[in-house]
Amino acid sequence: MIDVNAYLGHFAFRQLRHSTAAALLRLMDRTGIQRAVVSSAASITYRNAQSGNEEVAAEVKPHRERLTPFAVLNPAYAGWQDDLKICHRDFGMKGLRLYPRWHNYRLTDTSCLELVNAATELRWPISIPLRVEDRRQQSWLVDVPDVDQEEMAALVKAAPKASFILLNGSGYVSSPLGRKGSGLPANYAVEISSLAAVLANELGQLLETLGPDRLVFGTGMPFHYPDPALLKLEVLEAAEEVKDKIRSRNAARLLGL
Amino acid sequence: MFTRRSFARACLAVGGASASPSQSGGVRVIDAHTHLYHHSRASWSEDDRKLIEAADKLGIGQLCCSMLPPRRPATPESFHECNRWTAEVMRRFPERILGYCFVNPGYTREALAEIRRAVEQDGFIGIKLYNDYRADEPVVWPIVELAIELRVPILHHAGHTSWLPQPQPRISDAGHLAELARRYPEAMIICAHICGGGDWEWSIKALRNAPSVYLDTSGSVPDEGVIEMAVRVLGAARLLFATDLSMTASLGRLRGADLSEADRNKILGANMQQILNRRRGA
Repeated sequence: MIDVNAYLGHFAFRQLRHSTAAALLRLMDRTGIQRAVVSSAASITYRNAQSGNEEVAAEVKPHRERLTPFAVLNPAYAGWQDDLKICHRDFGMKGLRLYPRWHNYRLTDTSCLELVNAATELRWPISIPLRVEDRRQQSWLVDVPDVDQEEMAALVKAAPKASFILLNGSGYVSSPLGRKGSGLPANYAVEISSLAAVLANELGQLLETLGPDRLVFGTGMPFHYPDPALLKLEVLEAAEEVKDKIRSRNAARLLGL
Repeated sequence: MFTRRSFARACLAVGGASASPSQSGGVRVIDAHTHLYHHSRASWSEDDRKLIEAADKLGIGQLCCSMLPPRRPATPESFHECNRWTAEVMRRFPERILGYCFVNPGYTREALAEIRRAVEQDGFIGIKLYNDYRADEPVVWPIVELAIELRVPILHHAGHTSWLPQPQPRISDAGHLAELARRYPEAMIICAHICGGGDWEWSIKALRNAPSVYLDTSGSVPDEGVIEMAVRVLGAARLLFATDLSMTASLGRLRGADLSEADRNKILGANMQQILNRRRGA
Protein backbone atom coordinates (compact mmCIF):
# COMPACT_ATOMS: atom_id res chain seq x y z
CA MET A 1 0.00 0.00 0.00
CA ILE A 2 1.31 3.47 -0.90
CA ASP A 3 0.17 6.61 0.90
CA VAL A 4 0.63 9.68 -1.33
CA ASN A 5 -0.41 12.11 1.41
CA ALA A 6 1.85 12.10 4.48
CA TYR A 7 3.95 14.65 6.34
CA LEU A 8 6.92 15.05 8.67
CA GLY A 9 7.80 17.81 11.11
CA HIS A 10 5.89 20.29 13.21
CA PHE A 11 2.82 22.23 12.16
CA ALA A 12 2.52 25.79 13.41
CA PHE A 13 -1.00 25.61 14.84
CA ARG A 14 -1.39 22.17 16.35
CA GLN A 15 0.73 19.46 17.86
CA LEU A 16 1.19 16.48 15.52
CA ARG A 17 1.86 13.44 17.67
CA HIS A 18 3.59 11.34 15.01
CA SER A 19 5.75 13.96 13.36
CA THR A 20 9.08 12.10 13.21
CA ALA A 21 10.08 9.44 10.70
CA ALA A 22 10.23 6.83 13.44
CA ALA A 23 6.72 7.65 14.69
CA LEU A 24 5.28 7.79 11.18
CA LEU A 25 6.81 4.42 10.35
CA ARG A 26 5.17 2.94 13.45
CA LEU A 27 1.81 4.22 12.24
CA MET A 28 2.52 2.79 8.80
CA ASP A 29 3.42 -0.58 10.29
CA ARG A 30 0.21 -0.65 12.32
CA THR A 31 -1.90 0.04 9.26
CA GLY A 32 -0.06 -2.01 6.67
CA ILE A 33 1.21 0.93 4.62
CA GLN A 34 4.52 0.08 3.00
CA ARG A 35 5.51 3.43 1.53
CA ALA A 36 4.51 7.05 2.05
CA VAL A 37 5.15 10.25 0.18
CA VAL A 38 6.19 12.83 2.78
CA SER A 39 6.77 16.56 2.79
CA SER A 40 7.46 19.16 5.44
CA ALA A 41 4.50 20.23 7.57
CA ALA A 42 6.59 23.13 8.84
CA SER A 43 7.11 24.46 5.31
CA ILE A 44 3.41 25.25 5.14
CA THR A 45 4.04 28.24 7.41
CA TYR A 46 7.79 28.83 7.19
CA ARG A 47 8.49 31.94 5.16
CA ASN A 48 11.46 30.11 3.66
CA ALA A 49 9.99 26.73 2.78
CA GLN A 50 13.40 25.33 1.89
CA SER A 51 14.31 25.07 5.59
CA GLY A 52 11.55 22.48 5.96
CA ASN A 53 12.82 20.58 2.93
CA GLU A 54 16.25 20.41 4.57
CA GLU A 55 14.68 18.99 7.72
CA VAL A 56 12.73 16.36 5.77
CA ALA A 57 15.78 15.39 3.69
CA ALA A 58 17.73 14.66 6.87
CA GLU A 59 14.83 12.84 8.52
CA VAL A 60 14.14 10.45 5.62
CA LYS A 61 17.76 9.65 4.81
CA PRO A 62 17.85 6.32 6.71
CA HIS A 63 14.35 5.36 5.49
CA ARG A 64 14.36 6.02 1.75
CA GLU A 65 12.99 2.59 0.94
CA ARG A 66 9.75 3.56 2.72
CA LEU A 67 9.60 7.36 2.80
CA THR A 68 9.61 9.25 -0.50
CA PRO A 69 10.27 12.96 0.02
CA PHE A 70 8.50 15.70 -1.92
CA ALA A 71 9.73 19.29 -1.92
CA VAL A 72 7.54 22.15 -0.73
CA LEU A 73 8.42 25.17 -2.84
CA ASN A 74 6.93 28.62 -3.02
CA PRO A 75 7.16 30.16 -6.50
CA ALA A 76 6.47 33.59 -5.04
CA TYR A 77 9.59 33.44 -2.84
CA ALA A 78 13.13 34.32 -3.80
CA GLY A 79 15.42 31.55 -4.94
CA TRP A 80 12.93 28.78 -5.67
CA GLN A 81 14.89 27.82 -8.78
CA ASP A 82 17.99 27.18 -6.66
CA ASP A 83 15.93 25.33 -4.05
CA LEU A 84 14.41 23.12 -6.73
CA LYS A 85 17.88 22.14 -7.96
CA ILE A 86 19.06 21.36 -4.43
CA CYS A 87 15.94 19.31 -3.63
CA HIS A 88 16.38 17.31 -6.83
CA ARG A 89 20.16 16.96 -7.06
CA ASP A 90 21.26 16.93 -3.42
CA PHE A 91 18.23 15.67 -1.53
CA GLY A 92 16.97 13.21 -4.17
CA MET A 93 13.41 14.38 -3.74
CA LYS A 94 10.86 12.89 -6.10
CA GLY A 95 8.07 15.41 -6.45
CA LEU A 96 6.63 18.77 -5.56
CA ARG A 97 3.99 19.90 -3.09
CA LEU A 98 2.32 23.30 -3.45
CA TYR A 99 0.36 25.48 -1.00
CA PRO A 100 -0.98 28.38 -3.08
CA ARG A 101 -3.29 29.76 -0.38
CA TRP A 102 -0.87 29.45 2.53
CA HIS A 103 1.97 30.88 0.41
CA ASN A 104 -0.22 33.59 -1.10
CA TYR A 105 -0.12 33.05 -4.85
CA ARG A 106 -2.49 31.70 -7.45
CA LEU A 107 -1.98 28.47 -9.33
CA THR A 108 -2.30 30.30 -12.61
CA ASP A 109 0.34 32.93 -11.78
CA THR A 110 3.23 32.99 -14.22
CA SER A 111 5.75 32.08 -11.52
CA CYS A 112 3.68 29.05 -10.50
CA LEU A 113 3.45 27.87 -14.10
CA GLU A 114 7.23 28.25 -14.37
CA LEU A 115 7.69 26.07 -11.28
CA VAL A 116 5.20 23.48 -12.55
CA ASN A 117 7.00 23.35 -15.89
CA ALA A 118 10.38 23.03 -14.21
CA ALA A 119 9.09 20.15 -12.04
CA THR A 120 7.62 18.50 -15.12
CA GLU A 121 11.01 18.70 -16.84
CA LEU A 122 12.34 16.68 -13.91
CA ARG A 123 9.43 14.22 -14.33
CA TRP A 124 8.23 15.15 -10.87
CA PRO A 125 4.57 14.68 -9.96
CA ILE A 126 3.04 17.79 -8.40
CA SER A 127 0.78 17.25 -5.43
CA ILE A 128 -1.53 19.97 -4.19
CA PRO A 129 -3.44 19.72 -0.89
CA LEU A 130 -6.70 21.55 -1.47
CA ARG A 131 -7.01 21.93 2.31
CA VAL A 132 -4.64 21.78 5.27
CA GLU A 133 -7.11 22.36 8.09
CA ASP A 134 -10.86 22.66 8.22
CA ARG A 135 -11.41 26.41 8.02
CA ARG A 136 -13.70 26.43 11.07
CA GLN A 137 -10.86 25.42 13.33
CA GLN A 138 -8.18 27.74 12.06
CA SER A 139 -6.24 29.99 14.42
CA TRP A 140 -7.26 33.60 14.94
CA LEU A 141 -4.00 34.48 13.15
CA VAL A 142 -5.00 33.07 9.78
CA ASP A 143 -7.98 32.74 7.49
CA VAL A 144 -6.89 30.44 4.69
CA PRO A 145 -9.58 29.15 2.32
CA ASP A 146 -9.44 25.88 0.46
CA VAL A 147 -7.87 25.88 -3.00
CA ASP A 148 -10.57 26.71 -5.49
CA GLN A 149 -11.32 23.79 -7.78
CA GLU A 150 -11.95 26.02 -10.80
CA GLU A 151 -8.44 27.43 -10.31
CA MET A 152 -7.10 23.90 -9.97
CA ALA A 153 -8.86 22.97 -13.20
CA ALA A 154 -7.30 25.99 -14.94
CA LEU A 155 -3.84 24.79 -13.91
CA VAL A 156 -4.29 21.21 -15.14
CA LYS A 157 -5.47 22.67 -18.43
CA ALA A 158 -2.57 25.11 -18.65
CA ALA A 159 0.04 22.41 -17.97
CA PRO A 160 -1.15 19.34 -19.90
CA LYS A 161 2.22 17.59 -19.73
CA ALA A 162 2.42 17.86 -15.95
CA SER A 163 1.24 15.13 -13.60
CA PHE A 164 -0.86 16.33 -10.67
CA ILE A 165 -2.07 14.59 -7.52
CA LEU A 166 -4.88 16.41 -5.72
CA LEU A 167 -4.95 15.83 -1.94
CA ASN A 168 -7.45 16.41 0.87
CA GLY A 169 -10.23 17.41 -1.51
CA SER A 170 -13.92 16.66 -1.86
CA GLY A 171 -16.78 17.99 -3.91
CA TYR A 172 -15.02 17.19 -7.18
CA VAL A 173 -18.24 15.86 -8.67
CA SER A 174 -19.59 19.42 -8.61
CA SER A 175 -16.57 20.86 -10.43
CA PRO A 176 -15.02 20.24 -13.84
CA LEU A 177 -12.35 18.12 -12.11
CA GLY A 178 -14.85 15.36 -11.36
CA ARG A 179 -17.17 15.65 -14.34
CA LYS A 180 -17.06 13.43 -17.35
CA GLY A 181 -16.54 15.32 -20.58
CA SER A 182 -15.25 18.49 -18.96
CA GLY A 183 -12.54 18.78 -21.59
CA LEU A 184 -9.72 18.65 -19.05
CA PRO A 185 -6.62 16.59 -19.78
CA ALA A 186 -6.33 13.32 -17.86
CA ASN A 187 -3.17 14.55 -16.16
CA TYR A 188 -4.40 14.52 -12.58
CA ALA A 189 -5.20 11.89 -9.99
CA VAL A 190 -7.43 12.32 -6.95
CA GLU A 191 -6.42 11.12 -3.49
CA ILE A 192 -9.28 9.52 -1.57
CA SER A 193 -8.92 10.50 2.11
CA SER A 194 -11.59 13.23 2.10
CA LEU A 195 -14.08 11.53 -0.21
CA ALA A 196 -17.32 10.02 1.07
CA ALA A 197 -17.43 6.27 0.52
CA VAL A 198 -21.02 5.68 1.70
CA LEU A 199 -24.21 7.76 1.41
CA ALA A 200 -23.19 10.37 -1.24
CA ASN A 201 -20.34 7.99 -2.17
CA GLU A 202 -18.22 10.48 -4.09
CA LEU A 203 -15.50 7.87 -4.24
CA GLY A 204 -17.77 5.55 -6.20
CA GLN A 205 -18.91 8.42 -8.40
CA LEU A 206 -15.35 9.40 -9.28
CA LEU A 207 -14.57 5.83 -10.09
CA GLU A 208 -17.27 6.15 -12.76
CA THR A 209 -16.28 9.57 -14.10
CA LEU A 210 -12.47 9.47 -13.87
CA GLY A 211 -11.91 5.74 -14.07
CA PRO A 212 -9.91 3.38 -11.85
CA ASP A 213 -6.50 4.62 -12.97
CA ARG A 214 -6.92 8.11 -11.53
CA LEU A 215 -7.71 7.48 -7.87
CA VAL A 216 -4.90 7.04 -5.35
CA PHE A 217 -4.76 6.07 -1.72
CA GLY A 218 -3.69 8.65 0.87
CA THR A 219 -4.30 9.34 4.53
CA GLY A 220 -3.07 12.79 5.49
CA MET A 221 -1.18 11.34 8.46
CA PRO A 222 0.01 12.52 10.91
CA PHE A 223 -2.48 15.39 10.58
CA HIS A 224 -5.15 12.73 10.25
CA TYR A 225 -5.82 9.27 11.56
CA PRO A 226 -4.93 6.90 8.71
CA ASP A 227 -7.88 4.65 9.49
CA PRO A 228 -10.72 6.62 7.86
CA ALA A 229 -9.00 6.37 4.48
CA LEU A 230 -8.40 2.66 5.00
CA LEU A 231 -12.03 2.19 5.90
CA LYS A 232 -13.19 4.04 2.79
CA LEU A 233 -11.20 1.70 0.63
CA GLU A 234 -12.51 -1.34 2.48
CA VAL A 235 -16.18 -0.41 2.06
CA LEU A 236 -15.81 0.76 -1.55
CA GLU A 237 -17.87 -1.48 -3.78
CA ALA A 238 -15.34 -2.28 -6.47
CA ALA A 239 -13.45 -5.25 -7.85
CA GLU A 240 -10.29 -6.24 -6.01
CA GLU A 241 -8.29 -5.34 -9.11
CA VAL A 242 -9.64 -1.80 -8.96
CA LYS A 243 -8.85 -1.55 -5.26
CA ASP A 244 -5.31 -2.73 -5.96
CA LYS A 245 -4.88 0.12 -8.41
CA ILE A 246 -6.07 2.60 -5.79
CA ARG A 247 -4.03 1.02 -3.00
CA SER A 248 -0.69 1.14 -4.79
CA ARG A 249 -0.47 0.54 -8.51
CA ASN A 250 -1.61 3.96 -9.62
CA ALA A 251 0.70 5.68 -7.15
CA ALA A 252 3.62 3.49 -8.16
CA ARG A 253 3.09 4.53 -11.76
CA LEU A 254 2.89 8.23 -10.87
CA LEU A 255 5.99 8.00 -8.68
CA GLY A 256 7.95 6.00 -11.24
CA LEU A 257 8.51 3.12 -8.82
CA MET B 1 -12.44 -7.84 23.63
CA PHE B 2 -11.53 -6.13 20.42
CA THR B 3 -8.23 -4.77 19.15
CA ARG B 4 -8.20 -1.89 16.70
CA ARG B 5 -7.85 -4.27 13.78
CA SER B 6 -10.28 -6.89 14.97
CA PHE B 7 -12.82 -4.19 15.78
CA ALA B 8 -12.72 -3.04 12.18
CA ARG B 9 -12.96 -6.54 10.81
CA ALA B 10 -15.88 -7.33 13.10
CA CYS B 11 -17.71 -4.18 12.09
CA LEU B 12 -17.21 -4.87 8.42
CA ALA B 13 -18.06 -8.51 8.74
CA VAL B 14 -21.66 -7.72 9.62
CA GLY B 15 -22.38 -6.11 6.24
CA GLY B 16 -25.87 -7.00 5.14
CA ALA B 17 -26.90 -8.17 8.58
CA SER B 18 -29.66 -5.62 8.85
CA ALA B 19 -31.91 -7.97 10.78
CA SER B 20 -29.62 -8.03 13.79
CA PRO B 21 -28.19 -4.84 15.16
CA SER B 22 -24.43 -4.94 15.32
CA GLN B 23 -22.28 -5.65 18.33
CA SER B 24 -18.66 -4.80 19.03
CA GLY B 25 -16.98 -6.59 21.90
CA GLY B 26 -20.38 -7.41 23.34
CA VAL B 27 -21.52 -3.81 22.97
CA ARG B 28 -24.10 -2.70 20.47
CA VAL B 29 -22.59 0.12 18.37
CA ILE B 30 -24.83 3.17 18.69
CA ASP B 31 -24.51 6.30 16.57
CA ALA B 32 -25.55 8.96 19.10
CA HIS B 33 -25.96 11.77 16.56
CA THR B 34 -27.11 11.54 13.01
CA HIS B 35 -29.92 12.78 10.81
CA LEU B 36 -32.79 11.77 8.62
CA TYR B 37 -33.47 13.64 5.42
CA HIS B 38 -36.15 16.31 5.22
CA HIS B 39 -38.97 15.46 2.86
CA SER B 40 -38.38 18.54 0.76
CA ARG B 41 -35.50 16.53 -0.67
CA ALA B 42 -36.85 14.44 -3.53
CA SER B 43 -34.70 11.43 -2.70
CA TRP B 44 -35.45 11.37 1.06
CA SER B 45 -36.89 7.86 1.17
CA GLU B 46 -34.03 6.37 -0.82
CA ASP B 47 -31.52 8.36 1.26
CA ASP B 48 -32.99 7.01 4.50
CA ARG B 49 -32.64 3.51 3.11
CA LYS B 50 -29.03 4.23 2.16
CA LEU B 51 -28.39 5.35 5.73
CA ILE B 52 -29.50 1.96 7.02
CA GLU B 53 -27.43 0.22 4.33
CA ALA B 54 -24.35 2.20 5.31
CA ALA B 55 -24.94 1.41 8.99
CA ASP B 56 -25.17 -2.29 8.08
CA LYS B 57 -21.96 -2.09 6.10
CA LEU B 58 -20.10 -0.39 8.94
CA GLY B 59 -21.55 -2.45 11.77
CA ILE B 60 -23.56 0.33 13.40
CA GLY B 61 -26.51 -1.19 15.22
CA GLN B 62 -28.62 1.82 16.12
CA LEU B 63 -28.85 5.36 14.82
CA CYS B 64 -30.10 8.19 17.02
CA CYS B 65 -31.61 10.58 14.49
CA SER B 66 -33.25 13.93 14.25
CA MET B 67 -34.69 15.77 11.29
CA LEU B 68 -34.31 19.53 10.95
CA PRO B 69 -36.32 21.83 8.72
CA PRO B 70 -34.25 23.57 6.06
CA ARG B 71 -35.60 27.03 6.93
CA ARG B 72 -34.57 28.91 10.09
CA PRO B 73 -35.86 29.80 12.53
CA ALA B 74 -37.91 26.64 12.92
CA THR B 75 -41.63 27.19 13.52
CA PRO B 76 -43.93 24.90 15.55
CA GLU B 77 -45.42 23.66 12.28
CA SER B 78 -42.03 22.89 10.78
CA PHE B 79 -40.61 21.09 13.82
CA HIS B 80 -43.83 19.14 14.37
CA GLU B 81 -43.72 18.01 10.75
CA CYS B 82 -40.09 16.90 11.10
CA ASN B 83 -40.84 14.93 14.26
CA ARG B 84 -43.87 13.30 12.66
CA TRP B 85 -41.68 12.15 9.75
CA THR B 86 -39.02 10.95 12.18
CA ALA B 87 -41.64 8.86 13.99
CA GLU B 88 -42.61 7.30 10.66
CA VAL B 89 -39.02 6.26 9.99
CA MET B 90 -38.75 4.87 13.54
CA ARG B 91 -41.71 2.65 12.70
CA ARG B 92 -40.22 1.76 9.30
CA PHE B 93 -36.93 0.65 10.89
CA PRO B 94 -37.81 -0.41 14.44
CA GLU B 95 -34.86 -0.87 16.80
CA ARG B 96 -32.53 0.65 14.18
CA ILE B 97 -33.72 4.26 14.16
CA LEU B 98 -34.14 6.04 17.50
CA GLY B 99 -35.56 9.55 17.43
CA TYR B 100 -34.54 12.86 18.93
CA CYS B 101 -37.41 15.34 19.08
CA PHE B 102 -36.29 18.59 17.47
CA VAL B 103 -37.82 21.85 18.73
CA ASN B 104 -37.20 25.58 18.69
CA PRO B 105 -37.14 26.65 22.37
CA GLY B 106 -38.48 30.08 21.39
CA TYR B 107 -41.95 28.54 21.13
CA THR B 108 -42.05 27.41 24.72
CA ARG B 109 -45.61 26.09 24.96
CA GLU B 110 -45.54 24.27 21.63
CA ALA B 111 -42.03 22.92 22.19
CA LEU B 112 -42.86 21.49 25.60
CA ALA B 113 -46.04 19.86 24.32
CA GLU B 114 -44.18 18.46 21.34
CA ILE B 115 -41.44 16.94 23.49
CA ARG B 116 -43.85 15.37 25.97
CA ARG B 117 -45.94 13.85 23.20
CA ALA B 118 -42.90 12.60 21.23
CA VAL B 119 -41.24 10.97 24.23
CA GLU B 120 -44.29 9.59 26.02
CA GLN B 121 -46.37 8.52 23.01
CA ASP B 122 -43.93 7.97 20.14
CA GLY B 123 -40.97 6.65 22.10
CA PHE B 124 -38.44 9.33 21.18
CA ILE B 125 -35.22 8.96 23.16
CA GLY B 126 -34.13 12.58 23.51
CA ILE B 127 -34.31 16.21 22.47
CA LYS B 128 -32.34 17.92 19.74
CA LEU B 129 -31.61 21.65 19.95
CA TYR B 130 -29.93 23.54 17.13
CA ASN B 131 -28.87 27.17 16.82
CA ASP B 132 -32.20 28.94 17.24
CA TYR B 133 -31.03 30.05 20.69
CA ARG B 134 -27.79 29.77 22.59
CA ALA B 135 -27.64 27.22 25.38
CA ASP B 136 -27.07 29.89 28.03
CA GLU B 137 -30.27 31.81 27.18
CA PRO B 138 -33.12 31.48 29.74
CA VAL B 139 -35.55 30.44 27.01
CA VAL B 140 -33.81 27.06 27.01
CA TRP B 141 -34.38 26.40 30.71
CA PRO B 142 -37.94 25.00 30.51
CA ILE B 143 -36.77 22.52 27.87
CA VAL B 144 -33.97 21.34 30.14
CA GLU B 145 -36.34 21.00 33.08
CA LEU B 146 -38.67 18.83 31.01
CA ALA B 147 -35.73 16.71 29.82
CA ILE B 148 -34.78 16.11 33.45
CA GLU B 149 -38.35 15.13 34.29
CA LEU B 150 -38.56 12.72 31.33
CA ARG B 151 -35.01 11.41 31.89
CA VAL B 152 -33.93 12.02 28.31
CA PRO B 153 -30.75 13.63 26.97
CA ILE B 154 -30.49 16.90 25.08
CA LEU B 155 -28.23 16.73 22.05
CA HIS B 156 -27.11 20.32 21.49
CA HIS B 157 -25.54 21.62 18.28
CA ALA B 158 -22.22 23.29 19.11
CA GLY B 159 -19.08 24.74 17.62
CA HIS B 160 -16.29 27.13 18.44
CA THR B 161 -14.35 29.17 15.92
CA SER B 162 -11.73 31.78 16.68
CA TRP B 163 -12.48 34.13 13.86
CA LEU B 164 -15.40 36.33 12.86
CA PRO B 165 -17.91 36.72 11.36
CA GLN B 166 -19.71 33.75 12.83
CA PRO B 167 -22.05 32.32 10.18
CA GLN B 168 -24.38 31.03 12.91
CA PRO B 169 -24.81 34.01 15.28
CA ARG B 170 -26.57 31.99 17.98
CA ILE B 171 -24.51 28.85 17.85
CA SER B 172 -23.59 27.48 21.28
CA ASP B 173 -20.11 26.39 22.13
CA ALA B 174 -18.86 23.96 24.73
CA GLY B 175 -18.50 26.82 27.20
CA HIS B 176 -22.20 27.67 26.92
CA LEU B 177 -23.09 24.03 27.45
CA ALA B 178 -20.83 23.86 30.49
CA GLU B 179 -22.64 26.92 31.87
CA LEU B 180 -26.02 25.28 31.29
CA ALA B 181 -24.78 22.12 33.01
CA ARG B 182 -23.69 24.11 36.05
CA ARG B 183 -27.25 25.40 36.35
CA TYR B 184 -28.76 21.95 35.78
CA PRO B 185 -26.19 19.35 36.87
CA GLU B 186 -28.77 16.56 36.75
CA ALA B 187 -29.47 17.14 33.04
CA MET B 188 -27.93 14.83 30.43
CA ILE B 189 -26.47 17.26 27.90
CA ILE B 190 -24.58 16.06 24.83
CA CYS B 191 -22.23 18.51 23.14
CA ALA B 192 -22.45 17.77 19.43
CA HIS B 193 -19.78 16.86 16.90
CA ILE B 194 -16.35 17.52 18.36
CA CYS B 195 -14.96 16.81 14.90
CA GLY B 196 -17.28 19.16 13.07
CA GLY B 197 -17.42 22.11 15.41
CA GLY B 198 -14.27 24.11 14.89
CA ASP B 199 -11.42 24.20 17.42
CA TRP B 200 -11.76 20.82 19.12
CA GLU B 201 -8.94 21.42 21.58
CA TRP B 202 -10.77 24.51 22.87
CA SER B 203 -14.04 22.59 23.15
CA ILE B 204 -12.54 19.67 25.06
CA LYS B 205 -10.84 22.01 27.51
CA ALA B 206 -14.02 24.03 27.98
CA LEU B 207 -15.85 20.87 29.09
CA ARG B 208 -13.22 19.67 31.53
CA ASN B 209 -15.01 21.03 34.59
CA ALA B 210 -18.56 20.22 33.47
CA PRO B 211 -18.70 16.52 34.40
CA SER B 212 -22.35 16.01 33.45
CA VAL B 213 -21.81 17.02 29.81
CA TYR B 214 -21.18 14.27 27.30
CA LEU B 215 -19.30 14.86 24.07
CA ASP B 216 -20.17 13.23 20.78
CA THR B 217 -17.29 12.22 18.51
CA SER B 218 -18.93 12.92 15.15
CA GLY B 219 -17.88 15.08 12.25
CA SER B 220 -15.93 15.08 9.03
CA VAL B 221 -12.61 16.32 10.42
CA PRO B 222 -10.25 13.32 10.70
CA ASP B 223 -7.62 15.01 12.91
CA GLU B 224 -5.33 12.57 14.64
CA GLY B 225 -5.27 12.78 18.43
CA VAL B 226 -8.73 14.20 19.09
CA ILE B 227 -10.13 11.06 20.70
CA GLU B 228 -7.03 10.50 22.82
CA MET B 229 -7.16 14.09 24.11
CA ALA B 230 -10.87 13.82 24.88
CA VAL B 231 -10.29 10.63 26.85
CA ARG B 232 -7.36 12.15 28.69
CA VAL B 233 -9.19 15.35 29.65
CA LEU B 234 -12.80 14.20 30.03
CA GLY B 235 -12.58 10.44 30.52
CA ALA B 236 -14.01 7.75 28.24
CA ALA B 237 -17.26 7.62 30.21
CA ARG B 238 -18.23 11.03 28.80
CA LEU B 239 -17.70 10.24 25.12
CA LEU B 240 -20.35 8.99 22.72
CA PHE B 241 -19.60 7.57 19.28
CA ALA B 242 -21.53 9.44 16.60
CA THR B 243 -21.26 10.23 12.90
CA ASP B 244 -23.49 13.20 12.00
CA LEU B 245 -23.57 11.51 8.57
CA SER B 246 -19.74 11.52 8.27
CA MET B 247 -19.75 7.80 8.68
CA THR B 248 -16.36 6.50 7.57
CA ALA B 249 -14.46 9.45 9.07
CA SER B 250 -16.22 8.98 12.39
CA LEU B 251 -15.91 5.23 12.62
CA GLY B 252 -12.35 5.37 11.28
CA ARG B 253 -11.19 7.71 14.02
CA LEU B 254 -12.56 5.38 16.70
CA ARG B 255 -10.84 2.51 14.97
CA GLY B 256 -7.54 4.38 14.84
CA ALA B 257 -7.55 5.93 18.28
CA ASP B 258 -5.07 4.54 20.77
CA LEU B 259 -7.51 3.35 23.45
CA SER B 260 -8.00 0.44 25.78
CA GLU B 261 -10.69 -1.89 24.50
CA ALA B 262 -12.79 -1.19 27.57
CA ASP B 263 -12.74 2.53 26.75
CA ARG B 264 -13.45 1.88 23.07
CA ASN B 265 -16.50 -0.20 23.95
CA LYS B 266 -17.78 2.48 26.30
CA ILE B 267 -17.53 5.08 23.56
CA LEU B 268 -18.94 2.89 20.81
CA GLY B 269 -22.14 2.09 22.62
CA ALA B 270 -22.07 1.32 26.33
CA ASN B 271 -22.20 4.97 27.41
CA MET B 272 -25.14 5.76 25.14
CA GLN B 273 -26.89 2.60 26.24
CA GLN B 274 -26.64 3.81 29.83
CA ILE B 275 -28.27 7.07 28.82
CA LEU B 276 -31.07 5.21 27.04
CA ASN B 277 -31.57 2.98 30.08
CA ARG B 278 -32.32 5.95 32.29
CA ARG B 279 -35.50 6.69 30.35
CA ARG B 280 -36.41 3.03 30.16
CA GLY B 281 -35.96 2.75 33.91
CA ALA B 282 -38.15 5.79 34.46
